[in-house]
Amino acid sequence: MWAMIVKEFRQLRRDRRTLAMMIFMPVLMLVIFGYAASFDVSSIPVRVVGPQAERIAAVLPPPFDVEAADPEGTRAEAELALRDGEAPVAFVTDAEGVTVLLDGSELFVANATKATLSSLAERIPGDVPASVQVLFNPDLETSAIMVPGLAAMILLFVGTVITSLGVVRERQAGTLEQLAVMPFRPRDVFLGKIAPYFVVASIDMAIVVVAGALLFDVPFRGSVLVLALGALLFLFVTLGLGVLISSVSQNQGQAIQLALMALLPQVMLSGLIFPLSSMAAGVRWIGYLLPLTYFVQISRGVMLRGAPIDALWTSFLYLAIIGAIVFGLATLRFRRQLAPARRHGRLAEPVEVAA
Amino acid sequence: MTPLAQSIGVTRRFRHLVAVDGVDLRVDPGEVVGLLGANGAGKTTLIRMLLGLLPASDGRVLLFGRPPSRETRRRIGYVPQGLGLYDDLTPLENLAFARAAFGGALGELPAQVRPLARIPVGRLPLGVQRRVAFAQALAHGPDLLVLDEPTSGVDPLARARLWETIRGAAEAGAGVLVTTHHMDEAEECDRLVVMAQGRVVGEGSVEEIVGGARVVVVESPEWERALEALEGAGLSAALVGRTLRVPSTGVEEVGHALDGVPAILGEAGATLEERFLELTLAGTAA
Amino acid sequence: MTFGVRGVTVRFGDHVALDDVTLEAPPGRVTGVVGGDGSGKTTLLRVLAGALSPDAGEVRRPDPGRIGYLASGSGTYPDLTVDENLVFVATAYGVHASEVARRSGGYLERIGLAGARDRLAGHLSGGMRQRLGVICAMVHRPELLVLDEPTTGIDPVSRADLWWLIARAAAGGAAVVLSTSYLDEAERAASLLVLDRGGSLAAGTPEEIAAAVPGTVRRLRERPGGGLAGRAWRRGARWFAWEPPGSPPGEGEVVRPTLHEAVTVAALARELEAVGGGAP
Repeated sequence: MWAMIVKEFRQLRRDRRTLAMMIFMPVLMLVIFGYAASFDVSSIPVRVVGPQAERIAAVLPPPFDVEAADPEGTRAEAELALRDGEAPVAFVTDAEGVTVLLDGSELFVANATKATLSSLAERIPGDVPASVQVLFNPDLETSAIMVPGLAAMILLFVGTVITSLGVVRERQAGTLEQLAVMPFRPRDVFLGKIAPYFVVASIDMAIVVVAGALLFDVPFRGSVLVLALGALLFLFVTLGLGVLISSVSQNQGQAIQLALMALLPQVMLSGLIFPLSSMAAGVRWIGYLLPLTYFVQISRGVMLRGAPIDALWTSFLYLAIIGAIVFGLATLRFRRQLAPARRHGRLAEPVEVAA
Repeated sequence: MTPLAQSIGVTRRFRHLVAVDGVDLRVDPGEVVGLLGANGAGKTTLIRMLLGLLPASDGRVLLFGRPPSRETRRRIGYVPQGLGLYDDLTPLENLAFARAAFGGALGELPAQVRPLARIPVGRLPLGVQRRVAFAQALAHGPDLLVLDEPTSGVDPLARARLWETIRGAAEAGAGVLVTTHHMDEAEECDRLVVMAQGRVVGEGSVEEIVGGARVVVVESPEWERALEALEGAGLSAALVGRTLRVPSTGVEEVGHALDGVPAILGEAGATLEERFLELTLAGTAA
Repeated sequence: MTFGVRGVTVRFGDHVALDDVTLEAPPGRVTGVVGGDGSGKTTLLRVLAGALSPDAGEVRRPDPGRIGYLASGSGTYPDLTVDENLVFVATAYGVHASEVARRSGGYLERIGLAGARDRLAGHLSGGMRQRLGVICAMVHRPELLVLDEPTTGIDPVSRADLWWLIARAAAGGAAVVLSTSYLDEAERAASLLVLDRGGSLAAGTPEEIAAAVPGTVRRLRERPGGGLAGRAWRRGARWFAWEPPGSPPGEGEVVRPTLHEAVTVAALARELEAVGGGAP
């Protein structure tokens, strides 16, 4: 039995991907549960509008963090600001008191605000009565924010994991080489390979959205076209990632390992589950690098708040740029493996393994 | 002399299929026996019974005079078609593992392989991999060697060298059982056993098996017509260049089947492969 | 038009896979490339088929639509049925579906797959899969058919069928190039190229190669000793030894070399040259 143990260790030592996973996963979990996994909101950005704006702004205690106090601002403007995602909370002041508008799509911030207000006995220091109104997700249902997130996750999963498996399967079967010799253009092979996954991912997402509306009463307030555009850009990113992963994997096992390592951090750190605002600043920047973060914002913004495209333009821009880079790289790598090219291999590298 | 491996009237049934049907086989010390058969002939099943991996439905299997057991496993060296090496371990590590499993001495790598002993097996050329696999199988001094397609894929000189190793083991007293699909390899054995449909359909040296089998050689400027005519008459022919070779028949029958297609007929000795195919197809028809 | 390669060299990093190799593949003939693992035959076939560009030399091949290629290790999709595999290849090459049925029907029947068109290729035996692979490579009637080790590891019955398919393709006018490590098969080819570690060892018809052995080959009764051992090899129960030209005659009966002896001598000569030896 000892022989088996020794052998396994030796094989493990050489399996770089598994080793990477064994180191990467605990580190990831540490980061997540140490710094990121929190539903506590430490600071709540706030807009204050109305005649009493400056006075109220001065006395609002932490965790409220006043970003702007605009005495000329109206309630309508405040609502727009919430819809466009500029701030999650707005205090609308007038002669009688304050109406607190909460963005229901920011579930945890909204809950935190309600909790703070009730601890202040629904009054703002200076004895100003405050009444609360939740926009966009009045019952503060978790399903409302999860369903858009799920739609995003499906695109990520199908795009990255499933696509990489499908493309790697070609290499495993040894048929990739045959394709290289057939009268296909590399473009035909590339697009032909990812087209089915594109279709499946889109259909899956549509099902999730419709099911959300029918079963969980999740609203769809915004423009379908805007969401579709966001989904398209995000798909470029995920499909490109899937193809890239397959281009550095020899078999499905390796592809799955890489795909999971690409998937898990995104799910955990993109604001899908734990709000970005709850993450420690030192870790939050990771979230801002992940493509999923931006599509979740688009998805929630469009579905729950009916945000227009110009409100979400930063997300769209980021996705477009990342998409162009990732998809471009994937195309290049794929072409190189398919078009008659020189291979730069090591001595005695088995010929069956593609570069 | 007790045979090292022996099957006496061995039969193996799987539900509706009789995979091995009353096969007598023996391997004595010092001899190299080749087992030849098409897919589905029962070779693999027979081997598995001889190795003790599968029980026989009828008949007896004896290894070193006794039924197979864990002890007999230690006296067998087996090299499967996939070589049985771990691709991500080096030759030395593979040998160490084998030693721990079988006991005995650490296998010795042939001189040419030693400089490569610390490279993972998966990155070594096939010929080298085979030599490592042999070294591993021979390390614990087995009395019986079972080799599956031992030299598939290597060039003729390397094949001759590998066979020197196999012969060396036989000369030292071991018995060797080789299964193969290729005639080049079959010709290296002392004795051949040809199986078809679970039965032994031929046994002996290459010359004995080929016997006086002859084929009819057909040279025709219209080979396609000739081929169609022959196949229409139920005669299967092999096409070599533009010449047809028709086994299991005589010049008259062929001439009759050709019926008008211009051709020159002759006779030639059958090759081992042609004889083997003849036996296999006859076995299937039986 | 005769296809082939001339003076082709291919390097992977420091490793020279092919060194100034020339191969002629005339139409209507079967040309064999013989060599073991590491000889460069897969690389040569890939260059010929257009899957790889050489570092030097020229390649003569028809357009991709007129080439048929079977990579070693089967080129069929295991999760598609026999029919679906055929249709995929045919569509890729622009052969109409009904044409496919017509052309492949006869072949499938011959190899016993006519009733199994709906079976998944992955469920076929290795020999069946290879035969299907060859049919797929042939279905569009290519001018150049390149097959990489189509018969390695395949049982003799399947191999006979494969050769039937191959011979038909050649007799139908295609230039067929196939690689093998078995000399008894190589003898069926009209002409051969023998490769050893990337270099050309011998070329010509099997008879020409056998006749071109330099020096003498002798058959011995037992293993020779001393310096002769480095120039001897065993085949079956017999020992052979090679005497390079100009060396003193030794023991044993002189034999006329067959293709087998010729190739072994050529490989030996190369090896001895590399070591710096020769006649003792």
